[in-house]
Amino acid sequence: MPSPAFDPLLLRRYDRPGPRYTSYPTAPQFQHGFGEAQLRDAARASNGDPIPRRLSLYVHVPFCMSPCFYCGCNRIITRDLARADTYLTRLYREIGMTAELFDRDREVIQLHFGGGTPNFLSPAQLQELVDCLRRHFLFSSSPDRDLSIELDPRYIDPAGIAELATIGFNRASLGVQDFNPVVQAAVNRIQSVEETRAVVDACRVHGFRSVNIDLIYGLPKQSIDGFARTLDTVVAMRPDRLAVYSYAHLPELFKAQRQIDAADLPDADTKLSLLQLAIDRLTDAGYVYIGMDHFALPDDELARAQERGSLHRNFMGYTTHADSDLIGLGVSAISHIGDSFSQNPRDLPSWQIAIDEGRLPVFRGMRLDEDDLLRADLIQQLMCQGEIPIAALERRYAIDFDGYFAEALDKLAPLVDDGLVRREPGRIVATTRGRLLLRNIAMCFDRYLDPPATADTAPRFSRAI
Amino acid sequence: MSDTAFPRLDRRVLADDGDALHFCSTCAFSQACLSQGMDKSALMDLHVLVEHVGPLHAGDHVFREGDPFDAIAAVRAGTVKTYVVDADGHEHVLGFHLPGEVIGLNAIDGEHYPCNAVALDTVMLCRFSFPKISVLATRVPGLQQHLFRLLSRDIGNAALLAGDWSADQRMAAFLIGLSRRLSARGFSAERFQLTMARTDIANYLRLAPETVSRVLKRFQDDGLLKVDRRELELLRRDQLEAMAAPILRH
Repeated sequence: MPSPAFDPLLLRRYDRPGPRYTSYPTAPQFQHGFGEAQLRDAARASNGDPIPRRLSLYVHVPFCMSPCFYCGCNRIITRDLARADTYLTRLYREIGMTAELFDRDREVIQLHFGGGTPNFLSPAQLQELVDCLRRHFLFSSSPDRDLSIELDPRYIDPAGIAELATIGFNRASLGVQDFNPVVQAAVNRIQSVEETRAVVDACRVHGFRSVNIDLIYGLPKQSIDGFARTLDTVVAMRPDRLAVYSYAHLPELFKAQRQIDAADLPDADTKLSLLQLAIDRLTDAGYVYIGMDHFALPDDELARAQERGSLHRNFMGYTTHADSDLIGLGVSAISHIGDSFSQNPRDLPSWQIAIDEGRLPVFRGMRLDEDDLLRADLIQQLMCQGEIPIAALERRYAIDFDGYFAEALDKLAPLVDDGLVRREPGRIVATTRGRLLLRNIAMCFDRYLDPPATADTAPRFSRAI
Repeated sequence: MSDTAFPRLDRRVLADDGDALHFCSTCAFSQACLSQGMDKSALMDLHVLVEHVGPLHAGDHVFREGDPFDAIAAVRAGTVKTYVVDADGHEHVLGFHLPGEVIGLNAIDGEHYPCNAVALDTVMLCRFSFPKISVLATRVPGLQQHLFRLLSRDIGNAALLAGDWSADQRMAAFLIGLSRRLSARGFSAERFQLTMARTDIANYLRLAPETVSRVLKRFQDDGLLKVDRRELELLRRDQLEAMAAPILRH
C-alpha cells in the first residue's frame, strides 16, 4: 500500500472520539446476560465446523512493577512477586476448565502474552505456564506458529531473553514510548537506550523472528526535536515492526493519567506534527505503513500478508492468523469464538471468585447477528486492506450493498467529498489521505454509533488522531 | 436453476401460498396426494390435517422414539436429524433431512416413532397428521406408496454398512448426496452450508471427527472443494462423483 498522505487541516477536522475497532462490535456493546452457558454454546458450535478453526491463545498478566502515567491498560501495580504465584494457580485452573470446551485436535497456532507486564513473571514461571498450556492444548508444529510476548525491557536482561527463547518465544514487543529523558520523567518511565538495545540485540541473537517497538506521540513534554531523536535512535535498532500510538488523555477513565498535567501535553498542531514526523522518518527509513498505528519492514510478514490480502486484525493488533478462534485467559482477557465475543472480569477479585467457585470467568459478551457479521467483515477489510470489497460482500451476504447501507453511505458522503474515500466499480477505496482516517470511515458503518458521537458526549473512546 | 446457497431461502424454495383448500406451490405432499385423487378438501374429509408448524429451534425435537405415531412431516426449511440411542446411551445418527424431505415415514407400519427427530437449526415443517393411519391406508391405498417415494435419496445405512468403503469415499458420497438433494429442491448444487455438526457427520459416516476434517482438508488441498467455516463450495464435482459412485450405486 502506498504511503499515507498527511493533510493536517483534514486530520484536525476529523479528530473526534471513536473506537479503535480492534473488534466489531466493540467491547462496550458486550452484554452482561452473556455468561458461561453462552460461551459453552459458542465453543460447541465452533467445534461443529467441518474443519474447526485453529486456536489463538491470549494470556493477560496484569502486574507491573511501577506505574507509567499514560497507561490505560488493565494492570495492577505491585512489587510483591508472590502475587504472581497466586495468580498463576488460578490461571492454571482457568486453563484446565477452558481447554475442555474445545475439540482436542484443534491446534494452537498462536500464543500471545500481554498485560500489564508479562515479564513480571520470571522465565521459570513463564516456562511453567507455557508447559501448562501445552498439556491442555495441542500446539501446532507448523513453522508459522507464533509465541509472542510483550516485554518491559527494564525488567529483563539478555540472559532472560535466552530463557524465553528456550521456552519457544519467537516474537517480542518492547515498550519504549519515548527516549527523551524529560518525557520519561513526566510519564514515570525511565528507560535507557542501552538497556533497550541490549534486549533488542538479545532477541536477535536468540532467534526471535521479529521485534516490535511501541512508541507514543502526544505525551507530556514531547517536542518535535526530542521525538525526532527518539525516532532516529529506534530506527537505528531496526525493529521489524513499530506501533506508534496516539496518547489518549482520558483521566476520568484512567486514574494513572491524573498524574499528567494536561498543560504539559502538546497542542493539537504539535501532536499532528509529531505524527507527521513519525510517518516521514519511518517511511524514509524503509518502513511500510500497515494501517492504524502500525509500521513494518517490507519483508516482514505483516507487510507481505497485506500485499496478499490476507492481513487480519484482532484485539492483539494486526496479525497473519485470520483463520483462528481467539481464547482469552486471565483477568480482563477477551475471547472471539465463532460468532461470539466474551470477556473475563476486569477486576482481579471477580475473576478469582469465579474460578474458585469452579465457574468459567465470563463477565460479559455477545453473539453476533448477521448484520454484525457483515459489518465486522466490512470493517476488517477496511482496517487491513484500506478498502471495502463491495462485490465480495454482496456475494457473501446476499445483499444489495447500496440499498442495505443507504444510511451508512449518507454518512460517508462528506468523507467522499473531502477526498478520504473513492467509489470504484465493486469497491470503496481509502485514498492516501484517507489511510490515516480509517477509523472515521469505519464509523460510518458502525450501527452502534447511531447517532454519531458529537463533541458534547462524554468520550468513551480516544480521539481518532 | 436457483443460485441460492442452502440454507438461505427464497420464494422459489419456500412458498407459503397455500390455504385450507389448496396446497402450497412448493408442497412436498401435493403430488403424492393429487396422484391419488386427493385434493385438500378430500383430505379434510378424512380428518387429515395439513398445517405449517414452526419455527422449531436447534435442539427442539419433532418427535421422540416411542411417541405415538400420528403424523409425518415435510421439512420446509432447515435441517432435521434422525437418530437412535443404544443401550449404552450412545447416539447413532440415522440421517439428515433437508427441505422437501419427509420424516416419520419409517413409522407408518407401526404405532410409535422408532427414532428421534431433532431440529439442527431453525426448522419449519409441514405436518401431515391423521387420526388413524390404518383408516387412511384403507381409504387411500396408493397414498402410502407414493409417500414412501418422498424418502430422501440419502446414502442410507445399508449402503454404508455393506461395503468396506474408505473415508474418502464416504465423505465424497455424503457431499454428492447432499449436492444432488439440494439441487433437486432448487438450491445451488455447488455452494451450500453443512448445517450439521462435524460430530454428527462423523457419527453418520462411521468415522472419527478428526478424520472428517482431515479428509476435507485434503480435498481442499487437492482443489476438489473449498471450505469456509460451515460453507462448502464444490470445485471438482466430477471427481467427487467418481469417488462416490460405488457407494451411491447401492
